[in-house]
Amino acid sequence: MAEKTVGKPIKRTEDPRLIQGLAHYVDDIRLPDTLHAMFVRSIYAHARIKSIDTTAALKLPGVVAVYTGKDTQKIGPVPCGAALPDLKVPDHRVLATNKVYWVGHPVAVVVAENKFAARDGVDAVQVDYEELPVVMDEEKAADAKSPVIHEQFGTNIAYKLTAGEGDIEAALKSADKVVKQKIQHKRLAPVAMEPRGVLARYYPGEQELTLWTSTQIPHLARTQLAIMLGMPENKLRLIAPEVGGGFGSKLNVYAEEAVLGWISMQTGRPVKWIETRRENLQATIHGRGQVGYVEIGCKKDGTITGLRYNVFADMGSYFQLLTPAIPTLTGLMLSGCYKIPAIQINVTATFTNKMSTDAYRGAGRPEATYVVERAVDLVAAELGMDPVEVRRKNFPQPDEFPFKTATGLFYDSGNYQAALDKAMKMVDYAKLREEQKKARKEGRLMGIGVSTYVEICALGPSAAMPAGGWESATVRIEPTGKVTILTGASPHGQGEETAFAQIAADELGVSVNDSTVIHGDTAVVQYGIGTFGSRALVVGGTAVYMAIQKLKEKAGKIAAHLLQCEATVFADGQFCEAAARAKGASASVPEPMVPVGQAPAAALHEPKPGGKTITLQEIALAAHLAKNLPPDMEPGLSATSFYEPKNFTFPFGTHIAVVEIDKETGEIHFQRYVAVDDCGKQINPMLVHGQVHGGICQSFGQALYEEVVYDENGQLVTGTLMDYALPRAAMLPHFELDSTETPSPVNPLGAKGVGEAGTIGATPAVVSAIVDALSIYGVRHIDMPIKPETVWQILRRNSAA
Amino acid sequence: MKIDGTHKIDAPREQIFDLLTNPLLLQKCIPGCEKMDNTAENQYAARLSVGVGPIKGVFNATVNLTELRRPDHYALTMEGKGQAGFVKGSGVLDFADDGGATMVHFTGDVNVGGLIASVGQRMIQSVGKMMAERFFVALENEAKAQQKASQAALLSDPPSSL
Amino acid sequence: MIPASFDYIAAKTLDEAISLLARHKDDAKLLAGGHSLLPAMKLRLMQPKVLIDLGRIKDLSYIKEEGGQIRIGAMTTHFQVETSDLLRRACPLLPETASHLGDMQVRNKGTIGGSLVHSDPAADWPAAILALDAELVARGAKGDRTIKAADFFVDMLTTALEPGEILREIRIPSGKGKPAQAYVKVRHPASGFAVVGVAVNLSIEGGKCQSAAVGITGVAPKAYRASKVESALKGSALDAKTLSAASAHAADGVDVNADLYASAEYRKQLAAVYTRRALETAISRAK
Repeated sequence: MAEKTVGKPIKRTEDPRLIQGLAHYVDDIRLPDTLHAMFVRSIYAHARIKSIDTTAALKLPGVVAVYTGKDTQKIGPVPCGAALPDLKVPDHRVLATNKVYWVGHPVAVVVAENKFAARDGVDAVQVDYEELPVVMDEEKAADAKSPVIHEQFGTNIAYKLTAGEGDIEAALKSADKVVKQKIQHKRLAPVAMEPRGVLARYYPGEQELTLWTSTQIPHLARTQLAIMLGMPENKLRLIAPEVGGGFGSKLNVYAEEAVLGWISMQTGRPVKWIETRRENLQATIHGRGQVGYVEIGCKKDGTITGLRYNVFADMGSYFQLLTPAIPTLTGLMLSGCYKIPAIQINVTATFTNKMSTDAYRGAGRPEATYVVERAVDLVAAELGMDPVEVRRKNFPQPDEFPFKTATGLFYDSGNYQAALDKAMKMVDYAKLREEQKKARKEGRLMGIGVSTYVEICALGPSAAMPAGGWESATVRIEPTGKVTILTGASPHGQGEETAFAQIAADELGVSVNDSTVIHGDTAVVQYGIGTFGSRALVVGGTAVYMAIQKLKEKAGKIAAHLLQCEATVFADGQFCEAAARAKGASASVPEPMVPVGQAPAAALHEPKPGGKTITLQEIALAAHLAKNLPPDMEPGLSATSFYEPKNFTFPFGTHIAVVEIDKETGEIHFQRYVAVDDCGKQINPMLVHGQVHGGICQSFGQALYEEVVYDENGQLVTGTLMDYALPRAAMLPHFELDSTETPSPVNPLGAKGVGEAGTIGATPAVVSAIVDALSIYGVRHIDMPIKPETVWQILRRNSAA
Repeated sequence: MKIDGTHKIDAPREQIFDLLTNPLLLQKCIPGCEKMDNTAENQYAARLSVGVGPIKGVFNATVNLTELRRPDHYALTMEGKGQAGFVKGSGVLDFADDGGATMVHFTGDVNVGGLIASVGQRMIQSVGKMMAERFFVALENEAKAQQKASQAALLSDPPSSL
Repeated sequence: MIPASFDYIAAKTLDEAISLLARHKDDAKLLAGGHSLLPAMKLRLMQPKVLIDLGRIKDLSYIKEEGGQIRIGAMTTHFQVETSDLLRRACPLLPETASHLGDMQVRNKGTIGGSLVHSDPAADWPAAILALDAELVARGAKGDRTIKAADFFVDMLTTALEPGEILREIRIPSGKGKPAQAYVKVRHPASGFAVVGVAVNLSIEGGKCQSAAVGITGVAPKAYRASKVESALKGSALDAKTLSAASAHAADGVDVNADLYASAEYRKQLAAVYTRRALETAISRAK
């Protein structure tokens, strides 16, 4: 019996090429005769373009062309895929035409023989601006007295939306206590290690354009870019080569991608643009950017009666692909892992003179979790209860799943109590609280923060998605028996090449190294959706699983034909003649809810003692030689599945942080960090740990360090990584990780997704621990990022008082 | 960025006021000012080569003086543009007599944009203070030099009425 | 991140570098480790027309004891200082300071001389060099000139070096007895530069403080000696009360920096707290 690989912490097959520098990112692809493009970007946040003088730039040696907004009018607008009632959609041209709207707004593009000449050209383009008043604050932007960014709308309000179920007024009125809090979610920069980059090559004879671009969504981007460039979709080949991280920032279609394609079509030469880190901070989407007011009602015993969240969501000046949709995800997850009978979200989305916000790891859900978790802590503080007790009080019980929320979702499965219990046991919660009492007596500031979160993953059923929520896979067994997996998901660092090969290994009885996973090239891979929303394994992996089932069905038929028997049983890479136990049974695609590796059809047969066998490799060869196949059977051994999930999945967990605060400086020292995450069945626990580690790091970043800061005139003052602080290993505590496993009934893998868990679960725990440490001063909430000075100012105020 | 400060300069108000409205002398006081032309009444065009150590930028600036009330008060706006970005400032200067010396009080708002705003966060406030410091030191020196010169002139060229 | 075009010349000797500098004057910049210069050039904040690389000059990289002094060549890397057995024994403040500096790549390439002449207001070396009463030897057309550390840092990014001069050596007086030194630092979470960095060099005899030198970086437009702290310590028994009272003067008389990360008042607090902690550490090491 071959050892199963699913569930094992197998090392990533991607890593050898990545850590040896042998992988190929966009900038590693070198084509002869390539031109280089660089963008002239606005240094003003809001201004009218009076004139653009390109003559000096064009005179520079090596400069081939300079294009401005006037030249690129034929390129269609940058798309927004989100549809909402009464949404005001600005006409987002690839280069600014009359006005610039944010610092970094592309105004012109310089094309040159090399990047040095292109860079000199950028300095030589003279743009004359007339400055206009700026709108920087998302809340003040809604004010009727505020200057209007897009004059045609007469307002900065992009849309207003109210959602939720239950009578919120009655719920808050019937509460014994209503707690209110203003909560800020500062803008964050995703800062993928590889910045964006595009290489475009137009073949005039074939009238075909190939675009290599660092994207999470090659197929969706191809469709959109074909529309923007006015070319047939089947003449545009889009390749996402190795992609060095995205965190949602490359779940997008950017102006630069279309412009590069267009330049190649104009010049007939390949053209490349690689984003600089300064551009990355200015002109790649930002995440978060909300300021809201939460009200939560509760009974004296801690039972939550209702929650309302009035939020101003910062859109930036234009929409990118999903900009207006992000706050709606916040609305969906406002029930957290609690039974809340009435929930209401009121979104006011506003335009500001900043780069667009959009999906950043968690995309709207970290905001929701943070609001709910902070609110539950506020209830505990108000009632003088332990925050854990308030949580327990409001958890749905495991037998209440699928659990319907007042936000209209059905949580698939969950056991919130179990994850909480496990995390509390790991930290010895009762003892910690004793230690805290002792510390306080000694005058030390110790804090314990607990976050119990649930998130929405495996995006998602197509009905709930802007552009399809399914995923595709083709699995081929080549004549030599090697397995080729083509996935429509476009992994970029998550390790799906390993995870998918594990699924194939267990299902086909081959080794992990026998499979190769191909993705990212629209000319090779069938249409797919991409990697985001913790979906690649859960939806994309299920598609792989489904395609393998189809494949095995066909292989089984060939096996029976070659073995001259009625039926076969597949095990360990071999088909055996079966002793039929249940008449008429045949292999079929299994029903959901079956754990991987246990196809129900297998239970209907058992190997016939001494029966004949044939290997999968032999069948693969026979299928391709096609000399002896069952009548009317097509040659080849390949199957494709387009898997449509029936629901989202809802992973959950408990994170606990323990801090001690330096009373003299406000510096925050972490004593413990414990996380118990439940992402359903784990295909590869090492990949799960990696995702959780990365997510928690980014949570620490948001909680303690990161903030995109524009000054009052719209200048981006965190313009380099000298000022925008990313968390680094040495700044983080040791993470103690464990998990519980509550399989999802939604898909046959039982998996739920884990890509965003860390960024969702950890921020509230970190903030809560700091607030808890300072609670002796009556502190109940502190806005992120909580810098040492923030804490020190609180300490100083209180020591003075 | 808000800036303010008070500097005591050992010279009478009228002299300080006149110095601060004289393009030739202003040029000497403004750090890095290479050229200052009077383009219209109370309006100047300047070329500045501003540097902190080895980091230098050339700015073409316009300066407007308003609210001129000799010797108490005036206001100015300044806007400079260069490859490193732009600097815009507005300020109000008040001159108070302090026993023959002058207390110059200034409040202003300085905004920078472009490259210097996005990469210079760490030092920008200190640079602002440093520039103001250099300006006032130069101003005081200029005032002293003028006094010396006029005293010398008095000695060498006594008034004819005597 | 592409610099403006420039010429590159690798000098083979110090004299050649001096004559190149004399020829190209303001158009030239000296390239040592390049870890401040090259980023500034890539941002086009600096656009020198000529780079004179000192990296090929062999006799500028050394650490030795000579004439009652420790002598460090200006092109000695931070890593070489950090790992020098001689310094760990005779002047542990320098290796300790080096260990706080930048990251591994910066320490491997960056040089002590390059950092000192850049005179970044938040660089680590100036604090230690001030606390050690070092001398800096510059070579120009007229030969060597020795500059006291206290006179070397003139202003933000500005030193006492004359045009045409090249810093070639740092000299530290050899200490007596067990060194009572420490460098402590609050790192900026993004840049790694010192929000506050305090270098302490004490001499303690019979439980009494004979001399005290405290160099502070990150707090003001240039690194400085905290003279009020020093005078409050001298002659004292270095008890807890004295340390606290003395440290409260850490930012006296300087114009305290402010940025997004730390306001002036918070920096002042950090300066006081970390000065006390540096003193405590230094005293504990001398025991």
